[in-house]
Amino acid sequence: MNCEECQQHISPYLDGELVEDVATQMREHLTICAECSKLCEDFSVILESCRESVPADIIPPNAQALWCRINNLIESEVQPEPEKAEVKKGWFGRGWNISFSQATAGMLAIALISSLLTVVGIRNYFEPSGEDYTSRSNASQTTFEKFLSKIGLSDSPQQARERRIEEQRAAIEYWTKRVQERRGQWNAKMRDAFDRNLNLLDESVSEYTTILEENPDDELTGEMLDTVLNDKMDLLREFSDL
Amino acid sequence: MARTSKSRLRKYFTGKTTILLLLSVVFFFAPEETSAQKRFAKTYPATPTVRVSLANRSGMVTVEGWNRPEVQVRAYLEYPAAEIVPQLVNGTIFINVVKDNQGRAEVGNVNFTIRVPYDAAVDIETRVGNLNVSSVRGALVRAKISSDGDITLTNISASQVSAENGIGNIFFDGEISSGGKYRFTSMRGDINLRIPFNSSFKLIATAPSTRSIDLGQFANNNMRLVGDGRRVTGQTGDGSSSLVVTNLRGGIKFIPR
Repeated sequence: MNCEECQQHISPYLDGELVEDVATQMREHLTICAECSKLCEDFSVILESCRESVPADIIPPNAQALWCRINNLIESEVQPEPEKAEVKKGWFGRGWNISFSQATAGMLAIALISSLLTVVGIRNYFEPSGEDYTSRSNASQTTFEKFLSKIGLSDSPQQARERRIEEQRAAIEYWTKRVQERRGQWNAKMRDAFDRNLNLLDESVSEYTTILEENPDDELTGEMLDTVLNDKMDLLREFSDL
Repeated sequence: MARTSKSRLRKYFTGKTTILLLLSVVFFFAPEETSAQKRFAKTYPATPTVRVSLANRSGMVTVEGWNRPEVQVRAYLEYPAAEIVPQLVNGTIFINVVKDNQGRAEVGNVNFTIRVPYDAAVDIETRVGNLNVSSVRGALVRAKISSDGDITLTNISASQVSAENGIGNIFFDGEISSGGKYRFTSMRGDINLRIPFNSSFKLIATAPSTRSIDLGQFANNNMRLVGDGRRVTGQTGDGSSSLVVTNLRGGIKFIPR
């Protein structure tokens, strides 16, 4: 007798309902198998306690049927879940239950998003030239560029220009401080030349800024403003070396 | 009579001695004049395509091509004389007066005359002062003045030319090589370009304030005005080279050779 057969017969064995040769086999197995012996002991304790707690006048209608129900309940709890029927997997949806049209739409969406990200990445990677970013107006934007700026993946020309001007002004501020530190060491001729050129650049910056306020789409003025701010930056940087 | 002449002589010599003494005192205590000059001269053996890079503080720089495989550097240093420490690195001669004199309170003008092989590349800049380059036909001619000064480039046949100044004129007289790049930028002054009448180039000429862009014989149907006449773009010939001219507050003029 093996463990499985033994455990199936525990209940009738304890109730003395087994035929003699099977009961003998049970006894033999229980002497050599600690696990089944323990299980049998546990059952025996439960039965004993039931017999003690139940009043003598209340006799179960059918002890065998009751034990069958208990057994069924226990078995139903320990029974492994039935294997799910294998779902037919499509060529596109290996592991995903999606249709061909859904897969196609998904691939197209991925292709579009990766293209957009590539374009934005390339645009951000390369140093923006003045012509590209600071001098362009909305009118000269391509439909694709307008789309990118609408969905927030790219700056509009005005935004790009403002951002670049901010950067240039920050650099100018830095170099101006450096020049202030050194300026005292220059001779009069150097100071005059510097001031004259700086004033001219400031005049130009002011002039182009005013024109752009009136007409933000003036590409040429945007480009000139960029040039003049760069020139101012260069002038300050070069004189701060002295 | 003799006494009178003696006293006259004594008076004469006493007066002269006093004047001499006074003059010597004046010369002794007087500050050295700014015209006092120190000289610098050095010659370097060079390959025909040597590169010369000069950064000056103030003063005039003249670079001339010559038919010798050497670079001759001569400089006149005004008081207080600048330090000049030329360096020869990997076939390039570097002279950086700015770096060599950084932090010095007073440095006088340095006026350079440099002779280079015809095919040399020339890269010169100064903070203040005129720059002149002539008879150079190497790969590069770059001249930059940070503030005031004129740039004069004559008899140039380089494939890359850049001239940039603040307040001052730019004059270019030379060839426009096929595939070359030419850039001239000024804040205020005149830009005059004298080039062969059959030159081929793509042009972007911008004069936003004056709108004075005189193409002369180079005007053709391929040229168009942009931005209310502030810019002219177009091309002559096959447009094989690129010419960018910007003058913020001055005019641009093309003169055929």
